[in-house]
Amino acid sequence: MAILDHKHEIRLKGSPICGGIAIGSPFLFNFFENEIPEFSISDSEVESEVLRYRKALEKSKKEVEYLQKQLDLDGALDGVMILETHIQIMKDELITTVLEEAIREKKKNAEYIFGLFIRDYEKKLAKLTGEMFREKIRDVQDIAARILKNLKKTVKLSLAEVKENAIVFATDLAPSDAAEAKRTHIGAFVTEMGGKTSHAAIVARSRGIPYVSNINLAQVELKKEDVVIIDGRSGEVIVNPTSATLLSYRDLQNQLRAYLDNLSQAGEFLTETPDSYKVRLSANIEAIDELQLVHKYRGDGIGLFRSEYICLDKKGFPTEEEQFEIYKQFVQAANGLPIVIRTFDVGGDKSGDFLNVAEANPFLGCRAIRYMLQNPTVFRVQLRAILRASVFGQVKVMFPMVSGAFELLEAKKLLQEEMSKLDQESIRYDKNIKIGCMIEIPSAAITCDEFAKHCDFLSIGTNDLVQYSLAVDRSNQMMSYLYNPADPSVIRLIKMVVIEANRNGIPVSVCGEIAADPRFTALLLGLGVHELSCTARFIPIVKNTIRRTSIISACQLAETILKMSSYKEIQQKLNEEYEKLIPQDVQHIGPLIGH
Amino acid sequence: MKTLEHAFLVQNNLGLHARPATAIAKSLQSFQAKVTFSCNSLTVDAKQVMSLLLLEATENTLIRVKVEGSDADLALKGLLTTIENIF
Repeated sequence: MAILDHKHEIRLKGSPICGGIAIGSPFLFNFFENEIPEFSISDSEVESEVLRYRKALEKSKKEVEYLQKQLDLDGALDGVMILETHIQIMKDELITTVLEEAIREKKKNAEYIFGLFIRDYEKKLAKLTGEMFREKIRDVQDIAARILKNLKKTVKLSLAEVKENAIVFATDLAPSDAAEAKRTHIGAFVTEMGGKTSHAAIVARSRGIPYVSNINLAQVELKKEDVVIIDGRSGEVIVNPTSATLLSYRDLQNQLRAYLDNLSQAGEFLTETPDSYKVRLSANIEAIDELQLVHKYRGDGIGLFRSEYICLDKKGFPTEEEQFEIYKQFVQAANGLPIVIRTFDVGGDKSGDFLNVAEANPFLGCRAIRYMLQNPTVFRVQLRAILRASVFGQVKVMFPMVSGAFELLEAKKLLQEEMSKLDQESIRYDKNIKIGCMIEIPSAAITCDEFAKHCDFLSIGTNDLVQYSLAVDRSNQMMSYLYNPADPSVIRLIKMVVIEANRNGIPVSVCGEIAADPRFTALLLGLGVHELSCTARFIPIVKNTIRRTSIISACQLAETILKMSSYKEIQQKLNEEYEKLIPQDVQHIGPLIGH
Repeated sequence: MKTLEHAFLVQNNLGLHARPATAIAKSLQSFQAKVTFSCNSLTVDAKQVMSLLLLEATENTLIRVKVEGSDADLALKGLLTTIENIF
């Protein structure tokens, strides 16, 4: 033990994304700014490595072409010419065919070969004189950085290399990286970038993987043999802990485990308040194995199946047959529980590599239903597959990111056309399949009476609703102080939606991350939300809260909060009430989402 | 197969920098002919921007041009127009 003490204990503070404590050794995923990983590629993998390089290059070129178009529209001709150089460089044989040949020959990963080439090229340029060298090298470095960035996005979390309980350090995590982690025993994630409601964070949370972001990785030099403690509740990362620190965290880890085990016993109980008000508590899922937990905790259904994850894994849209088989499996595994299949929410931070949409503002761009309506072939295939799977259980279909009722009507028209086709082909499906809309854009919340007239249920997606109401990118760490679901605007929008849904006699659920935060539970019930849908792992903690909250007190709380004017006030009130309800629990679950 | 030779002076105080190099490479890409630039004992493919950037072609450097191919005359004519426009 004394051996540990001679090293210096380093404590870093980041943003807590997902609670829990992990102790392990670091695994450096991706790579740091100036460090390019080098590994060998087997003969059978060489061509896919070349393809990966080609795709990264193609993506970089598309990005630059898009930027160039924007500059052209703005009349910035100088910029257009500079970018033309970049495009030409990316078409250069040296960077295309010659480089691909080098990957084949040396059998090393693309970024390593690329890095070698750039270093070599820079050396040649360095022979040039002063000003000229500086001017030329800037363009080359700019392009190299872009290509490396795009290569980095496609490095797969190599499962073989990650040891059990490894703490994965990365600059950023793509949702697919986080999804990949489910099959391994990753101890925790630590990243430089990524907000609390980024999709990678959601995946980490659904997997119960502790996650701390906003850590400047340059601050610390990590070695493979180091010991690292991650406290996902406080956002603390401790490198080379003293033996005293290590012991106290081991102890905490055990306490936390015991607390969660104890809570999960609550799975057996009914979801109702002490004054017998019944609440539907459902699960958000991405993968089929999560359904086991839903059954274990007696969830009332699947409130949100994020179907796009089947594309992210596959890096493309599966065929109708493939989708049909997948949906059928999910529906059968739901075993009679209703399952809401949300049509692909691609775009935004879930563009994958297969969409090929380069947009300056992906979150304001061609995402979800917008993409699907613009690509009706993709949409029709999915609708058919969902319809065909609907005979195996209680399937509902939900459209994400609708901004106006016209999109709902267009989507419904396609659905009806596919139904008629199935009729003609005598293929069975549920003719009364329920149709719902996600309310996650303020325009949809404001006009939700129009939606309510044309669909069977509404589901409020608070993660996006917060981002669009407050005009703050949810994955932008610098703006995270503004991203707050306790903002009065968000609470009032939820209330508006509930009122209109009630007026039209259709149920409304909340499926954003706040549904999983027990501090929001009473407020949401008090606002009149009929159903909460959260990651299966959080069902016990939310159920436990519901079972201690009287509906009358929940209504009073909602009334008080609707009159409040700032998120700080609301947050404080939510914390206080929760503290009264379940004392000492706050230290177990970490801080509120959005602080 | 035609082989044509020519030479031109770099008339730009920044030399053959990124922008003219881009224009030259781009204007030559539509021709089938092989075009090389030589100066300071270095010969490079004129259709590739990265190669052109490696030339130490400062102001008033004389660059020798060699064009080989069935459309060599057209390529050279195109090149000269481009050079006229950029310097």
